[in-house]
Amino acid sequence: MFQQRPPVATQRPAAQGSAAWRRFWQRYRRNKFAVLGAVIVLLFVMVGLFAPWLAPYSYTEQELTNTQAAPSLAHPFGTDRLGRDQFSRLIWGARTALIVAPATVIVGLTLGLVLGSAAGFFGGWVDQLVMRVSDVLFAFPGLLFAILLAATVQPRIEGWLSQYEALKPFVRSGYAEFFVVIFALSMVGWPGLARLIRGQILALREQPFVEAAHAIGVPPWRILLRHLLPNALTPVIVSVSMGLGGAILAESTLSFFGIGIQPPTASWGAMIFANFSFWRQPSALWLVWAPGLVVGSLVFAFNFIGDGLNEALGR
Amino acid sequence: MLVYLIRRLLWMPILLLIIALLTFAIGLYGPGDPIQQRLGTRSNPEAVARLRAELGLDRPFLMQYGEYVGKAVRGDFGESITLFPGKPIRELLAGRLWVSLQINLVALLLGAFFGIPIGIVAALFRNTPLDYFLMFGIVLAISFPTFVLLPILMWLFIEQIPLLGVGWGGLLSSKAILPISVLSLGPLAVYARQTRANLAEVLEQDFIRTARGKGLSETTVLLRHALRNAMIPLITIFGLMLGGLVSGSFITETLLGIPGIGRLGVDAFYARDYPIIMALTLLIAVGYAVANLLVDLLYAYADPRIRVQ
Amino acid sequence: MENNRTLMYVILGGLVGLCVLALAALVIFGGVALLNRGEESSTVVATTETDQGTTTEGTSSGSSATASSNSLRLLGGEPPTLDPALASDATSANYIVELFSGLVTLDENVEIVPDIAADWRVSDDGLTYTFTLRDDVTFADGSAVTAEDFKYTIERACDPATLSPVADTYLGDIVGCKEKLGQAAGEVSGVRVIDPQTLEITIDAPKVYFLAKLTYPTAFVVDQAAVQAGGNLWATTNPNGSGPFRLDEYRFGERLVLAPNENYYGDPKPSLDRVTYILSGGSGMTMYETDEVDVVGVGLGDIDRVLDPSSPLNADLREVSEFSIGYIGLNANQPPFDDPQVRQAFNLAIDKEALVTAVLNDTVVPAYGIIPPGMPGHDPNIEGLRFNAEEAQRLLAESSYGGAENLPDITLHVSGAGGAAGPQIEAIVEMWKRNLAVDVAIEQTEWATFLTDIDRRPNPYQAFSIGWIADYPDPENFLDLLFHCDSLGNRTGYCNAEVDALLEEARVEQDNDARMALYDQAQQLIVQDAAWVPLWFNKGYVLVKPYVQDYRFPPTIVPTLKYVKLAQ
Repeated sequence: MFQQRPPVATQRPAAQGSAAWRRFWQRYRRNKFAVLGAVIVLLFVMVGLFAPWLAPYSYTEQELTNTQAAPSLAHPFGTDRLGRDQFSRLIWGARTALIVAPATVIVGLTLGLVLGSAAGFFGGWVDQLVMRVSDVLFAFPGLLFAILLAATVQPRIEGWLSQYEALKPFVRSGYAEFFVVIFALSMVGWPGLARLIRGQILALREQPFVEAAHAIGVPPWRILLRHLLPNALTPVIVSVSMGLGGAILAESTLSFFGIGIQPPTASWGAMIFANFSFWRQPSALWLVWAPGLVVGSLVFAFNFIGDGLNEALGR
Repeated sequence: MLVYLIRRLLWMPILLLIIALLTFAIGLYGPGDPIQQRLGTRSNPEAVARLRAELGLDRPFLMQYGEYVGKAVRGDFGESITLFPGKPIRELLAGRLWVSLQINLVALLLGAFFGIPIGIVAALFRNTPLDYFLMFGIVLAISFPTFVLLPILMWLFIEQIPLLGVGWGGLLSSKAILPISVLSLGPLAVYARQTRANLAEVLEQDFIRTARGKGLSETTVLLRHALRNAMIPLITIFGLMLGGLVSGSFITETLLGIPGIGRLGVDAFYARDYPIIMALTLLIAVGYAVANLLVDLLYAYADPRIRVQ
Repeated sequence: MENNRTLMYVILGGLVGLCVLALAALVIFGGVALLNRGEESSTVVATTETDQGTTTEGTSSGSSATASSNSLRLLGGEPPTLDPALASDATSANYIVELFSGLVTLDENVEIVPDIAADWRVSDDGLTYTFTLRDDVTFADGSAVTAEDFKYTIERACDPATLSPVADTYLGDIVGCKEKLGQAAGEVSGVRVIDPQTLEITIDAPKVYFLAKLTYPTAFVVDQAAVQAGGNLWATTNPNGSGPFRLDEYRFGERLVLAPNENYYGDPKPSLDRVTYILSGGSGMTMYETDEVDVVGVGLGDIDRVLDPSSPLNADLREVSEFSIGYIGLNANQPPFDDPQVRQAFNLAIDKEALVTAVLNDTVVPAYGIIPPGMPGHDPNIEGLRFNAEEAQRLLAESSYGGAENLPDITLHVSGAGGAAGPQIEAIVEMWKRNLAVDVAIEQTEWATFLTDIDRRPNPYQAFSIGWIADYPDPENFLDLLFHCDSLGNRTGYCNAEVDALLEEARVEQDNDARMALYDQAQQLIVQDAAWVPLWFNKGYVLVKPYVQDYRFPPTIVPTLKYVKLAQ
């Protein structure tokens, strides 16, 4: 939520080759938590990828004679209000999270990278335009904007997709919701990245090695791609890693407002809020706490990866 | 510098106008017809048309927008449509804003109160097990969002050991403990991390070494030189957080039944009460924009490299 | 270094200034908020009689009073309105019935009984009602309630400027009301004042259920002077009604306090000194357990705990019935539900017992008929379409579509502001999938749009999930309104001439038993034709502290607080 001023990267041309990689890994490895984070994320990625093979039950299969059952051998995380296996739903939830988070970050990053470097590099009215738009999006309370946006575009996107006969099953199956969520969250996410990149480029532009490149007649686009961007990337990488965790959180938060990915599709956030009213009961343990702790540990992992990257790449 | 200042000051109202326009457009083209919702569906079309005219919803977009802005400037955000039909929004906001501000300000101050010392300790003992332990705890605290922490804390302190309560009984009642502690975790983590990072950086710098070289005691070095320099960015963050105070806290307030503006926002969203949503958005945007402006100005003054031209 | 230091001071100074500013703003805001509060509390009803020393005790201890003072503490919702003409929701109506009263009301057996009207006569053609009013009825300020007041009340409700969302439904039968709503008439010609104690109302057709409509707040008498003096918010400042209680204090978002109306004409007179509704929200269960409220409704999340006989709360539990039903409407004008066999198959494929037990924790009763239990016209022995998967598959195969694979795409529409459709709907869709092999998509539409859509003719939805609550306890309000071919409230497009004939006969049948028999026949036909999938009848669970005596929970909204006594 808090906008931090961009840290200015070390002003040194990017190191090249495998030696740099080795050095990076050595430095990264020093932060044990960052390694732990990487392991956790890797684990979740595997779970998400192999969800259909890992989940013992289908995530939609209901067993109304066995609802809110306590954890047992057959259902290690118990069952939910409809007697669905909570363990399987948690596993499928990983897939949902690992679709939404990277997609959101990639869309946001692309927008941020293009607009931010354009603003920083060209300056003038381009800069003004990008910065003023990002000002507006910044001043707009982020969460509220995402919610309003999602609520407004959802019927439109679905209506638009439903026009095409071929896409109808796609809408009916609920996958269109992913687009809505990704769209809304990346619209909120890009201005931060754009500002970060712009700040970096502005600071780097004044560096001697850039001026030298100018002097020897290197074309501007080449300077941007070869000299400016690579050096500006460290804080971007860090912020992307944190952004992944942020996107997972944001997706869960949208569920609180009832927007976004809907059951029966498994989404951790939706699972938490659908069962929140049971917070007093023992079943909250597996219906509310379990998805909550899963969200938390994944965000936690991404945060530590960010820390580790910051140390390994920076100063 | 003066030019920059004037430019920023001129941009502020334009920014707010654009935000109002965006919210207004979403309200108008968003889903749901508030008139139908208020009158019910078995009402006759005459009444619908009348109410629409009475609320001015039948006029051209720009006219409605212009009038809205004109009134909003004077603090009149219109009336609630569906949630509390006919209630002036100003009245709805006043009491709730006060509740939200109290909780959030206390949480913010508490966060600073505990966060900064934690950061100092971590920086002084950096790369020791103590530092790792503290930072681990801090990252843990920001990674687990309120909607994960709340059910756990509620179960513990309301159901198991009935110490705290749900609802609102003023800042001094025991019911305020849970929301304030949950809300202070975020600021606490930010402060602790920033303090640690800044202090660690400052401690590496030349003038600290000079001070030490002069034979000053370690306490003096720390208090008079290092800390002071490390504090500057923290105060900036505090400024930004103050700006964010008015946004209340949607989830905490709703889950704990606190009558603040966060919960009002959630209720208004569910009832599609756009005038309330618009008023809240504007309020929050003003808070953020003002804080941002001040912080930006300070930054521009402090660091010529980032000065926007 | 020098430069750095001055810079630092400037920044520090600026930020401290910012903090001071913010704090100052806080104090000012807080001051404003406090001032506003002061104003709100000064808008307390100005009663003409002097408070006899209850002011200090009643209000100051209001928020933290224990049961020792004779004050009942309830959890209340913020009333959207307290104006009887505008109320269309249960929250508002709950307060209004305590503050205002009308010609007739309902007793415990949901029979219509006299209230302000001591007696009434219906003309032989069933069109004209002549009410004789009691002569001892006054508003809270002591001024007499006369037939003129009722004429004013009805004309005000039917005035389009009042913007009443419900006048058409509840008073539309009165000759002239619809015209006035359409701005064609200056007065409602069907209301005539014979003398101060005699009121004559003429309706447009001999509708036996008309009297039942008068039990709803829309027809409750209001005081012209109070309405005109109070402006837009007259009802929340000085409602001056004729009900058992008067408004003692209303602090928006905090509490609403009722005090007995000393001039109340009815029986019994209220025994409580104060009734405090806490409006600031919070978890009702927690407040009940910490003795902050005396009565609380139990939500789904707490029901298991409370139903457990070993729970200390179990002894306080009361079950409350409501006249309402949840159902899925099947649009008879849209494929595939244009085929009654498909509709029947979709009915038979749902195991309502399992649904109600597993998903809703038995907080509702499975519905096989249309009319809720306790209401006139309820048929406990109705056959209904009970769960039978094989029969469902057979019917689907025999239908004109010839089986699941030939059905068009089906979408079930539910209302809601985005958000999950709810586990009930998920379970139903899963049952259709499992028992009929039909994939039904769920589409959620925001409430207002949803309502507008299902009221369109033709209704664009194939299937939709919604509920119906009795406006007044008469089967006409369910069967005629929702299933007659020509009814505006018929959302499924279901049309059966035989049913229509029965309904029309029942409208004017003056013998009650014969009328109920007609409705029962109609109900059975409707159920067999599977116009709906009736799902469940709602009921509620309430906890009441043992020292609260005679707290009644009638299925319709009628005054209850005047009966309540607190054991000391």
